[in-house]
Amino acid sequence: MTKYLVKRFLLMLPTLLGVALVTFVLIRVIPGDVVELRYSGDRGAVSQDLLDKERARIGLDKPMWQQFATWLWGVVRLDFGTSMWTGAPIWEEIKLRFALSLQVAIMATIVAVILAIPLGVLAALKQDTWVDYSVRIFSIAGLAMPSFWLGIVLILLMLVVFKWLPPMVYTPFWVSPWQNLAQLIWPALAVGYRYSAVATRMTRSAMLEVLREDYIRTARAKGLMQKLILSRHALKNAMLPVMTVVAIEFAFLIGGLVVTEQVFNLNGIGLLFVQAVAHRDYTLLQALVMLVAGLFIVVNFLMDAAYAWIDPRIRYR
Amino acid sequence: MRRRPVLALLTLLLALAIVGVVPVVAQDKPRSGGELIFVVPSEPPSYDAHQEETFGLIHPTAPHYNTLLRVDPNDRTGTKPVGDLAESWTISKDALTYTFKIRKGVKFHDGSEMTSKDIKASYDKILKPPPGVKSLRKEAYEAIASIDAPDPTTFVVKLKYPESSMLLNLASPWNWIYKADLLAKDPHYYETHIMGTGPFKFVEHVKGSHWVGKKNPDYWDKGKPYLDGYRAIFISNSAAQVAAIRGERAMIQFRSFSPPERDQLVQALGNKITVQESPWDCLNFVSMHHEKKPFDDKRVRRALSLALDRYEGSKALSKITLVKDVGGIQVPGTPFATPPAELEKLAGYGRDIAKNRAEAKRLLKEAGVPDGFAFTFKNRGIPHPYEPLGIWLIDQWRQIGLNVKQEFIEASAYHPMLKRGDFEVAMDFQCGFIVEPDLDLPRFLSTSDANYGRHKDKALDDMMHQQGRATDPEQRKKILRQFEKRLLDEEAHVIYTLQWHRIVPHLAKVHGWTITPSHYLNNQLDTVWLSE
Repeated sequence: MTKYLVKRFLLMLPTLLGVALVTFVLIRVIPGDVVELRYSGDRGAVSQDLLDKERARIGLDKPMWQQFATWLWGVVRLDFGTSMWTGAPIWEEIKLRFALSLQVAIMATIVAVILAIPLGVLAALKQDTWVDYSVRIFSIAGLAMPSFWLGIVLILLMLVVFKWLPPMVYTPFWVSPWQNLAQLIWPALAVGYRYSAVATRMTRSAMLEVLREDYIRTARAKGLMQKLILSRHALKNAMLPVMTVVAIEFAFLIGGLVVTEQVFNLNGIGLLFVQAVAHRDYTLLQALVMLVAGLFIVVNFLMDAAYAWIDPRIRYR
Repeated sequence: MRRRPVLALLTLLLALAIVGVVPVVAQDKPRSGGELIFVVPSEPPSYDAHQEETFGLIHPTAPHYNTLLRVDPNDRTGTKPVGDLAESWTISKDALTYTFKIRKGVKFHDGSEMTSKDIKASYDKILKPPPGVKSLRKEAYEAIASIDAPDPTTFVVKLKYPESSMLLNLASPWNWIYKADLLAKDPHYYETHIMGTGPFKFVEHVKGSHWVGKKNPDYWDKGKPYLDGYRAIFISNSAAQVAAIRGERAMIQFRSFSPPERDQLVQALGNKITVQESPWDCLNFVSMHHEKKPFDDKRVRRALSLALDRYEGSKALSKITLVKDVGGIQVPGTPFATPPAELEKLAGYGRDIAKNRAEAKRLLKEAGVPDGFAFTFKNRGIPHPYEPLGIWLIDQWRQIGLNVKQEFIEASAYHPMLKRGDFEVAMDFQCGFIVEPDLDLPRFLSTSDANYGRHKDKALDDMMHQQGRATDPEQRKKILRQFEKRLLDEEAHVIYTLQWHRIVPHLAKVHGWTITPSHYLNNQLDTVWLSE
């Protein structure tokens, strides 16, 4: 098991390096840079001399390999530098947004799991009945509706029917739980519904597969109670692919809610991504990509470990 | 007997109250208290106005500061300088020396006294920034020979030559007065800190979320500010901005909404909303590359301007996007703007569009441009007002037999493209902070970095310099008319489209704020009050 985990861990490093290199090069291919954007605002007329000086100040005049080496050395020391747009340390820019995105991701995951597992199991057990059809319609609708669209509908509904709008400013949970939930429950519901749709379909198909296995038939033949068969034998085995979907969606939610965050005016990582691209804030964007890539890699690693723990055949293969 | 007048007065007041007059009178008197919540569509990169360009800094941060002069907060043209930290001023007969009397008893938010030394230090930073410190607008003060603070209440500006725009230039909303001692210790201090003399003290800035200010109880203008504080919420998405006002989570957004957004808010909130509108000191104009054929020929450039039906365009476009008035080189309704009747004499501004287009076709033929001539018009990839304006322009040019292809360039790549001169015809733009020829027009100088069309016109450059030094306003107007005729008609170096139109719908309980043509002005909030 240890050898397996060490091998998986070591594989993370070249993946991260590859991400770092690709991100570094790709963002610099896009025309325009942070200096141009910051000083060619509404008046649109700033001297070339000032632009050149500013580029030199933040190191954009150096050859690309030198910029990459400097940045990579910082990353190795966990120093991501300062934002080219605001001049503030990168971690300062990210930490507040990360807390919000993490909370939305956790809340959406809770919503998704609460909806997906019971519904998926129910649909599998009542296959091809009205219950199954209803669950399938519910989940397909979730897949078909983008979460930002659902968010807009929710906001309009609250505005038109209840003349009420969720708070526009983030309040940490420990400062005011009510204010915090009043703001975040709506995006969590909008995102969680789509997320649950994916997980519901996965739960249903995994359960259907497991329920046809010989060991389930054997358990039934032995006269075990249906509840026990489901909880001890079927659900545990069916959960492997569901866990994968839930984990990958969770990692995606940290940085992927770009439009939904804009609709609900959430000061999260997704919105920061958009701003970093729009401002050509290379250092911030590189740090964000590394953060999200790191999260995906860590989640994958944990999933591999969980798989190996649940299914011993994997670690002995 | 003495009771009768009192009774009569009471009866009259009761009657007035019944017909609703008394509340109106009461509402005209500023009321103290409350927190103004407003939306800011952008966020400040740093806190130092001397080196920034964005309204995203001015809107949340200006209430912490004062300037030497300011633009009168009640003047809708946004062109009248009044004292802010300067109590009064005199100008020498030769118009070369400006002497400002500085207010006494003004305190920074840390309790220290503000004197002319602080004003000098702030202007030193603007005019001659120390190494490594940026000052974006120092070129605007080239006329200044020296500044001096001979005593704590006197600030003197000496000029190399008379400049008629100097007072307005000193009322710039960007020239915040900083504390000399802090600048001496660290010239970068104000990039990350707030320390001003303004009506509101700094409370907090949560990046990406909000900015909070609270009333400065020691403000020098006694009785002001009226508000207990303010909260600026950063919202970049325009639908979320509208929702914030509609849901009354915010009261105002000081930049502008589009006409459909205004209509949506008015429909939803009815009499709970007030709308203020003004021509906006922002403009899209068309630049034509003077080194590329056939745009090196002024007949072709004039033909492109003659093709535009600006008056009908205004009617249609003002319903869907941020443009409205037909204007010349100055915002309509401001002191140096050309009156409409005179403007109609310029090429492309006449009301007989059939005649204009016939002339355009004749000019094209004369210049040897064949019918169906094709070129690419490059436009900036921003929905409003660039895209509708671009579509309109193409349609207008098609009506004189031109075949135009529009190419959208991503917003951040747009300026590098203009600077490289990688275009035949392209959309250009400018936005000013005060309507003033000296601030709005230097980009049309042959030597300007922003002369993207690369025209060379010594006569135009001379007129620009002459108007700036003309101390008689009537003489200045005369030169500006000549400048306008040469720029837009005779040489047609650029083609002005339609003036941007600023629309600020706000909750009716917000009072004491007057719209101006610039979204950089009138953001100190000292005059703003809430009736509920």
